[in-house]
Amino acid sequence: MSSSKRSRIRHHRMVVFSLLSLLVLTLVLPLIPHAVAELGESTGRVANPGTELWRDVRQRDRSIVGATQVKGVDSGVLINVHGEDWRQFRMQQLIPYGAALMGIVLSVILLFYLVRGPLRMQGGASGKKIQRFNVFERTTHWFTVGIFWLLALTGLVLLYGRFVLIPLLGPDGFGLTASACKEAHNLFGPMFLVAILMLFVTFVKDNFYVRGDFTWLLKGGGLLGGGHVSAGRFNAGEKIWFWIAVSGGMVLCVTGLILDFAVLGQGREVMALSHVLHGIVALVVITVSFGHIYLGTAGVEGTLSSMTTGNVDEAWAKSHHDRWYAEVKAAAADADETEPGGVASPAGEG
Amino acid sequence: MFANLVDGIFWDVALWVFAIGVLWRILSIFRVRNKPDYSEPRGSGFAGAVGANLRRFIPRSEMITRTRLQVVAGYLFHLGLFALLLFAAPHVLFIEAQTGLGWMPMPYWAFIVAAQLSFIGLMLLWIHRVMHPVTRLISDADDHVAALLTFIVMLTGCMALIEQFDGLRVFHRFTVELLMVYFPFSRLMHAFMFIPSRAFTGAWFGRRGVKA
Repeated sequence: MSSSKRSRIRHHRMVVFSLLSLLVLTLVLPLIPHAVAELGESTGRVANPGTELWRDVRQRDRSIVGATQVKGVDSGVLINVHGEDWRQFRMQQLIPYGAALMGIVLSVILLFYLVRGPLRMQGGASGKKIQRFNVFERTTHWFTVGIFWLLALTGLVLLYGRFVLIPLLGPDGFGLTASACKEAHNLFGPMFLVAILMLFVTFVKDNFYVRGDFTWLLKGGGLLGGGHVSAGRFNAGEKIWFWIAVSGGMVLCVTGLILDFAVLGQGREVMALSHVLHGIVALVVITVSFGHIYLGTAGVEGTLSSMTTGNVDEAWAKSHHDRWYAEVKAAAADADETEPGGVASPAGEG
Repeated sequence: MFANLVDGIFWDVALWVFAIGVLWRILSIFRVRNKPDYSEPRGSGFAGAVGANLRRFIPRSEMITRTRLQVVAGYLFHLGLFALLLFAAPHVLFIEAQTGLGWMPMPYWAFIVAAQLSFIGLMLLWIHRVMHPVTRLISDADDHVAALLTFIVMLTGCMALIEQFDGLRVFHRFTVELLMVYFPFSRLMHAFMFIPSRAFTGAWFGRRGVKA
């Protein structure tokens, strides 16, 4: 074989080798990033820049605050990931569990009333009246009641309206109702703070723990059998309700003000947390108020008049608040002694 | 349909009933003649009228303890309502559109504060009226209807505040028209009569040298 022929064959081999090498490289090189990605995943790193970008936007791995020319609270956060948590909680826990709580308590109260009936006065009404609440105390009570129920009803419309009212009013009708309720709720919210403070100042002095309250609780206030239990001006149940109303009311006011005035520098997480707390506490206070309303009206004979006319029957006082009755009688006797011929005037009337 | 009625014929009727009714009430009171007083004046009737008007803004010292709630709530309600009526931005725009007369409205935050104070005052006054045995006894349906109508007008106004739904504005205007029709026939007339009635009493006593 001549040298020129050998040279040509070598040349052809090189060409074939080069082409094969090129083919192999063409097929293999694009696989390198995938291989690296595979290796990266196994070590916890993500190499795909698009995936990484969206992971950062959704803040799946860490909290990221970006840079922006817009000045404001949370303006550097593209997507508030906790917003979805809040929405899920509201739709899947707060709304169904809240409805269940209120429904169960209302059913228990109704069942209790049907089985047990109202708690009667021992020996029946005497016809003699004794003042339990003066005008200012009753005014404070009903002022708080008025604002509380206006807020409760408008709040329940906002929470449950889409399930209850849309079938009745349609989407447009509900939109109008919801807008009206939202405006009323936001306007009356700060007024509830005034009412709660008035309630606290007016009634706090008689709502501290005293000896006998624990016994009252152990006997279920007489509802669990065993007849009436000794109590002062307010029994332990009334005291618990007072502190639930005041502390719950304060939480509702503070969280409500955070939601009402979104210009005070609070971020979206604080707003969402306030909303969650506001909803839970509101549903709890509304639910407990069912018990208060029942005991104040149909549940205990002769109680309602204490908050309407301010007076109760002496038999009622002796039955449910015997220690308070004794105190009032003793005070009246002292007044009679100091003012011969005088009649003890109702405390604080006017 | 309903919106057209409320913005049209209902408004015209309410306005005429209000204007004619108020004028009729005022004129009928001023047309009542007293017997001529021939006694020697011991003081100025005019000074008595002015003095009584000013003094009645301050509660009597003997009554301050018992009337504290009514005085505070009364001022909150009336001042708040006055501010809402004349200085709320939607009202200023409405008055300007109707009469051509406009003035500076109060800012939004002031509107909210005025509305809240006014609501607190109105609610406390009405609840106290019902709770106090004396005021409950001397109150009749007119007092309760007037309070309820005023409350509803204020509430519907606040519900329509965001101006997102025309239906809420129409509802507010409708309640205002109801109030305007009711106004001349009720004790709400005291809005126009409290100054003349104080003046009459003050002048009558002032002429006799007595501070009313």
